[in-house]
Amino acid sequence: MKNLALPKKKAFFAQASVLKRIIAFIIDILLVNLIILFPFRRLFDSIIPQTSSFSKTFEFLSENSGFSGTITIIMFAVALITILYFMTFEKKLGQSPGKMILNLYVESSKKDLKYWQLFVRSMFLIPVFPFILLWFIDPIVMFFTKENQRLSEILSSTKTVEKYKV
Amino acid sequence: MKKQQTNKWTRALMIIIYLTILSFFISIFLSLFIDDSFESLDGNVAVIEITGPIVAQKDSGLLFTDVTSSDEVRKLIKKADKSDKIKAIVFEINSPGGSAVASDEIAAEIKKINKTTVAWIREVGASGGYWIASSTDYIIANRMSITGSIGVIASYLGFSGFIEEHNVTYERLVSGKFKDLGIPFKDLTSEERLLFQKSLDKIHDYFIDEIAINRNLKKSDVKKIATGQFYIGAEAKDLGLIDELGSRDEVIDYVEKQIGEEANLAKYKKEKGFLAALSQTMNERFFYIGKGLGSSFFAEAESPKSISIIT
Repeated sequence: MKNLALPKKKAFFAQASVLKRIIAFIIDILLVNLIILFPFRRLFDSIIPQTSSFSKTFEFLSENSGFSGTITIIMFAVALITILYFMTFEKKLGQSPGKMILNLYVESSKKDLKYWQLFVRSMFLIPVFPFILLWFIDPIVMFFTKENQRLSEILSSTKTVEKYKV
Repeated sequence: MKKQQTNKWTRALMIIIYLTILSFFISIFLSLFIDDSFESLDGNVAVIEITGPIVAQKDSGLLFTDVTSSDEVRKLIKKADKSDKIKAIVFEINSPGGSAVASDEIAAEIKKINKTTVAWIREVGASGGYWIASSTDYIIANRMSITGSIGVIASYLGFSGFIEEHNVTYERLVSGKFKDLGIPFKDLTSEERLLFQKSLDKIHDYFIDEIAINRNLKKSDVKKIATGQFYIGAEAKDLGLIDELGSRDEVIDYVEKQIGEEANLAKYKKEKGFLAALSQTMNERFFYIGKGLGSSFFAEAESPKSISIIT
């Protein structure tokens, strides 16, 4: 069979769909929780109270500040690993596994993606004030910007794009 | 193109493996500073552990050593006693004894409790450990547990011959002839030995008094068995030093009978948060850097603390 002289497929990057970004994020978080943070499971089992209700746990943690301090430290370690996950993938491959599945990429408005940019993109994962505010602000801002950029993305001069082939 | 894609997934897999290994090491590191906390939050029976040597305060260098400090135990007792949810307190004892003062402090605190108290002797509940056990309402021990050992010890290593052999002299500079009593660099005089023995006998007498009162025994009977000898659980039961032979189930049965409801154990342990442990370690290290190793040794040598009275 002769090769047909069809024009080659062209690829270009354009604004990523919000739904795809949400799905990619869910995939990444599941991956982090089920595989990467698996070693932390035993640690959590040993410190999280086996209680019948949320109020009892809350009451216990309020009375025992040492335990809440321990949980905070572990939360920081978990956040650090999760941030490292996004930073490493986006620096080395330009996309995290969730984004790989959905053909999404992270782009810098400057030349290359720098580590500080990748950190700022993921700083919403730091479990302390004021970073936790980004959990609410980031998605809201996303719906009001032209290129659906999160606030963290605007601050880091990055954006998430989708690869299309024609 | 396809090859490039496969290569990308291989690299992704490698990154996942690296991050999982990193996560594993971080979790192991953190677990070094975390104690297992409690059995249940809904517990109505507090379990307080008396493990290892009994000391008054946790000293520097004991971060990873299993000791019981009377300061910590007293705090836990107060906390459990104050809690309305707690109906009884079980002391899980596995201790060969320790400081006479620390043991007496814990025993005195136990006597102030207005709730059912039980001592559960595991492998060893001897000397100071037994003193603490005797101050509870009821003692349960395994038939092979080591208990008793009602006596006082203050023996120490003397270095007078050693320093003499190495041409080192002990320059005695004291005002008050017994000021350097117990310094290991000189032999005890017969007068000093007598003085020492008198104090030990007095402490032994306090110990016997306490056991007699706590166990409702005649002082003369306790005196007969207070030779420092240890007794296994079965012997201790015959001598009236313990109330029952048994283990966890017997402890729960007794507590349930006393409180009239199902017993749910809640372990009361000293909180050892990561930051607390880390700051404790750093404080100790900075203290010693500042103080200097030499002066630290000097302080040890000049201090008459080289002798401790142990029950």
